[in-house]
Amino acid sequence: MITMLSEEAPRTGETVERAVSLRGLTKSFGSNHAVRGLDLEIERGSTVALLGPNGAGKSTTISMLLGLLEPDRGEVRILGKSPRRAVAEGLIGAMQQDAGLMQGVRVGELLDMVRHLYQRPLPMVELIESAGLESLLGRRADRLSGGQAQRLRFAMALAGDPSIIVLDEPTSAMDVDARHAFWRRMERLAEAGRTILFATHYLEEADAAADRVVVVAQGRVIADGSPAQIKSRLGQRRIRLTSPEAAERLEGLAAVSRVERTGRQVTLFTADADATVRDLIGLGLAWRDIEIGGVDLEDAFISLTGEVR
Amino acid sequence: MTRLLLLEIKRSLLDPRYLVLAVVMPVGFYLLFSELFGAHGQRVEGLPQPLELMVSMAAYGGIWAVFSGTAPRIAQERGTGWLRQLRLTPLPGGSVMVAKVVASMVAALPAMILVCVTAVVAHGVSLDARTWAELLGALWLGTLPLALLGFAIGFLVGSEVAYGAVMVLYFGFGAVGGLWMPLSALPAAMQDIGKVLPSHGLGDVGWKIAAGQVPDTSSLVVLAVWGVACAIVALVAYRVQSARR
Repeated sequence: MITMLSEEAPRTGETVERAVSLRGLTKSFGSNHAVRGLDLEIERGSTVALLGPNGAGKSTTISMLLGLLEPDRGEVRILGKSPRRAVAEGLIGAMQQDAGLMQGVRVGELLDMVRHLYQRPLPMVELIESAGLESLLGRRADRLSGGQAQRLRFAMALAGDPSIIVLDEPTSAMDVDARHAFWRRMERLAEAGRTILFATHYLEEADAAADRVVVVAQGRVIADGSPAQIKSRLGQRRIRLTSPEAAERLEGLAAVSRVERTGRQVTLFTADADATVRDLIGLGLAWRDIEIGGVDLEDAFISLTGEVR
Repeated sequence: MTRLLLLEIKRSLLDPRYLVLAVVMPVGFYLLFSELFGAHGQRVEGLPQPLELMVSMAAYGGIWAVFSGTAPRIAQERGTGWLRQLRLTPLPGGSVMVAKVVASMVAALPAMILVCVTAVVAHGVSLDARTWAELLGALWLGTLPLALLGFAIGFLVGSEVAYGAVMVLYFGFGAVGGLWMPLSALPAAMQDIGKVLPSHGLGDVGWKIAAGQVPDTSSLVVLAVWGVACAIVALVAYRVQSARR
């Protein structure tokens, strides 16, 4: 699409504009209904995680939010403006999952070129420092490791000094150390008053980095709250044990939401493993071979969304 | 946009595929063909052989420069998501595409000039300053339709096909378009095809200018029709691709 800059002027008469406002957002690709009437309001200065399994509609939502895709229905406002306009004014910067880099040019050249596309770019030294690119400036952009390329994408997202930063699965190509360093950088940006929205399918990441978690499944928002609230709903534990006890007795244990049984092998899904185990001991039930672990997000979504799938 | 253009030009000129096929090969063909056919033979329009071959090979190198700078690169950047990344900057999508086409055409200039220098040095080809300027200017502008063709291909096919596609077109356009050998040496059916190819249009404009004549309207029309048709296809393909996920 060729950008047109002659869109509507900012609306007056409203109080402080929200950073992001999505209303009734809907997008289908043929028979695949990727996003189905998604509503989301994001306040300025907050760090919000968009959490959901693969195929939940996170990337499609982000593409519409950035003006890369036109919604079939619904409205996107970024600080009260259309996405294309917000991008053109450098209000919003984004880092996309595995987005390619220009081939055959050096990191420093590429970053400098991107900076010059903006009216008020951040100084080069500041970008280099905040993305940790000091030792990579002379390297070819197409010969970076996954984590290094992601740092360059991060610097490019920051180049226009945006007040909103959108990240789609930002840490998927990073190892543990790189992830840690990445979120420390994000923290600094958030402290500077920027609004951060990131998509992830890791509950731990949402929990650690965000102050609000929005859970998306099947193209809709199915839960929205503080990390603690979402964690208690999604962050289930799985207790495996061997027991001859009847399923009804096990279902009655504290915090247990679901019981699966294969012969004498029992799996308990619980929101509070400690309470369940205390109960298990307190009631004097017969069991052995206990094993406690986390559940993956897919399972957690099934228990949260019930029949949605 | 200026910096993007400069970066695009720089990487075009340093691309080994460009250097081999747009610079080394036309110069090599020039030296080879001018030996094979004899430096004093005549093939077209009463032009001396070395001059006619110079125009042919300059056009040939220019065609590869604009092909290699557009189709494979656009297809690849579409695939990796770099074009999408650029859409997240204030740079209008249209100027990204203009930069690609212009950069590929800038890369055509050294390829063309080098063939001319070879002709001057090896066979003493000489033209007056005005004819040189007109010839190079016309050949250069004449690569625009081919750059647009490469642009359209870049949006129509994936990166694994794009390079092969322009490679086939490059050799096909050279052989059937009368750049390797005169059109009159080809079978009649192929001559009919050759006459409507943009490579023949480009070569013919160059030959006429080199001979001090006015280019044929038919050749200009061929170039214009290719240019407009490819621009339309490219624009439609670009819009369709941009609307995809």
